[in-house]
Amino acid sequence: MSMNEIDILLVDDSQEDVDLTLHALRGERLANRVFVARDGEEALEFVFCTGQHAGRSFEHPLKLVLLDLKLPKVDGLQVLKRMKSDERTKTVPVVLMTSSKEERDRMKGYELGVNSYLQKPVDFDEFRRMVKLAGLYWLVVNQPPVASRAPALAEAAK
Amino acid sequence: MSVTEIKSAGTTAAAAPAKMKLRALLIEDNQLDAELVLRWLRKDGYDVTSLVVQDEAAFIKALHSLSPDIVLADYNLPSWKGMEAVGVLVREGLDIPLILVSGALGDVTAVECIKRGATDYVLKDGLARLPEAIHRALEERQERQRRRQAEQDLARQAAELARSNADLEQFAYVASHDLQEPLRMVTAYTQLLAERYRGVLDADADKFIGYASEGAQRMQVLIQDLLAFSRVGRKNSDRAETDCNALLQDVLHTLTPAIQESGAHVDAEGLPTIWADRTLLAQVLQNLIGNAIKFRGKDAPLIHVKAEKNDQEWRFTVSDNGIGIPAEHAENIFVVFQRLHARSEYPGNGIGLAICKKVIERYGGKIWVESQPGSGSTFIFTLPLSSCQKPGNLNS
Amino acid sequence: MTSCMMLLIVDDNPADVGLAREALANSSIVSEITTCKDGEEALAFLHKDGGYANTARPDLMILDLSLPGRDGLSVLTEVKADPELKRIPVVIFSTSRLAKDIARSYQLGANCYISKPGNLKDFFSAIRSIQQFWFAVVSLPAQGE
Repeated sequence: MSMNEIDILLVDDSQEDVDLTLHALRGERLANRVFVARDGEEALEFVFCTGQHAGRSFEHPLKLVLLDLKLPKVDGLQVLKRMKSDERTKTVPVVLMTSSKEERDRMKGYELGVNSYLQKPVDFDEFRRMVKLAGLYWLVVNQPPVASRAPALAEAAK
Repeated sequence: MSVTEIKSAGTTAAAAPAKMKLRALLIEDNQLDAELVLRWLRKDGYDVTSLVVQDEAAFIKALHSLSPDIVLADYNLPSWKGMEAVGVLVREGLDIPLILVSGALGDVTAVECIKRGATDYVLKDGLARLPEAIHRALEERQERQRRRQAEQDLARQAAELARSNADLEQFAYVASHDLQEPLRMVTAYTQLLAERYRGVLDADADKFIGYASEGAQRMQVLIQDLLAFSRVGRKNSDRAETDCNALLQDVLHTLTPAIQESGAHVDAEGLPTIWADRTLLAQVLQNLIGNAIKFRGKDAPLIHVKAEKNDQEWRFTVSDNGIGIPAEHAENIFVVFQRLHARSEYPGNGIGLAICKKVIERYGGKIWVESQPGSGSTFIFTLPLSSCQKPGNLNS
Repeated sequence: MTSCMMLLIVDDNPADVGLAREALANSSIVSEITTCKDGEEALAFLHKDGGYANTARPDLMILDLSLPGRDGLSVLTEVKADPELKRIPVVIFSTSRLAKDIARSYQLGANCYISKPGNLKDFFSAIRSIQQFWFAVVSLPAQGE
């Protein structure tokens, strides 16, 4: 699987949460196109095709970014802000997925243009269900800004 | 009149095209030489109108006032070279034959003059050749004019055809697009009616609502198909390097439900990477493989996709073990909305193959089927190498 | 803050509005639905102008693109440029599948884009998914009184 076929960028430094998220996405057969970044810096390099991800291209834009708030090196709000203020990346749907209950964080997120804000449930099953619903919503119900090949064929098949 | 006189009168009249009008412009400073030339022309049967000039200014003026059919120029004038007249004609964009009529003119110079644009040359002591040279020059000019006219007509027809095609496609697109809105209303609400009132009104009502609902849904599919059909011509090709193996995988992914339901097995051989519009090519493969699955017999579909290259084209085949097609229908299955079976037997609108044909023909290729009822079908389409190679790249 | 979520639907087609209401009629998620049939009315509602002075701000806005007068994209632009309104999630719900409409919507700040499906089942499913995701999964920003 090449770096250019990634649909979902998952940015989270908690191994447990990453495992749960991938497990939930796997159930919906969405997991094979996920890239995991462990900190904000790598997330930015991935999104902007720089640094260790300089080989990636902008031609296959991400369909979804699942972003935690508390990240090492560069925090989630910073990543969000950078993405939403750059023409090349502002149209990528970004979903903040965080354990923070702070209303301040939520407001700031929406202020910066986050597409939606999900609060990680404490319960494992609830967490899985949330990821599954979010994955389905953003990858199946939603139309991302640039359609990939498969939906175009599905359209043609109708 | 004596018999001899009548005979000679008859002979003279038959010598040349009877009294054809000829406007001749002579570039000549010797009065006698000019007279001689004109006398030959009249003897040949032309009704001659003429002007004689000696310099460029007079020449240009005469071109406009006389509109000559032919220019007869002396090669050597004291003040102006006859050949310069050729330059003037070219500059003015006039297609008028110029024949050099000259005294001494070596062979080398004669050839040079013709290379530089003179139509012919005739020596002053060989004026007997003049009429023939003029006939030939005028005939060639007429031929050129006919050809130019034909090219213009063709270009105009092509432009009109292109415009009319564009209009038609635009119409199909707009019509399909705008038709979908009200149709969506009808479909959704007949379905809602069906859900809410099934069994509540009488049996007839159920039936009526059922027919309306079905009709609306069929129309939706029809319009979407029409849209797809019109889109084939509309898009300006987004061509790119296309790996047909990867393309096939995508197509099979889209057909997953049908493949699973039928237990179909598809294999491929020799699929190349070519320069093509990915979406269009995918549509062709999807329609052909989809059909192979749909029109299956009792056995699970076995579908084989193959590609071969010869020095003119790529030849793709999609063969199956399905119900086959009778020879007499082999051609009209490619016609829009043509179906061979009742809707209740096999679903579909009959537009898939029409789309394939349109796409393939856009590439300059051909598509046809070889089939026997009961022993499966092989659909074959060709793509000329010239249309599926990256521009500027001679190696495929 | 009310426990009942408020949904604003901006759509000039009463048939589609009817379908949306029908889809949500028996939902376990209780929501209050307000509809506006054009951009002007929607913005007046959001700004609490005139007769709308005592209304609450919606928690979610479902916005069609083709509206009479001011079109959907211009309403979207105004909403996302207004500091008091920009936090309201906007779901574009439109028949258009054109790439340029989708791209433009995201560029102007739409939270997501959903194409109106052609058949009843899928239409209902889309509306219900929207309600479920935004009212039961997402944490919404608090809207001022």
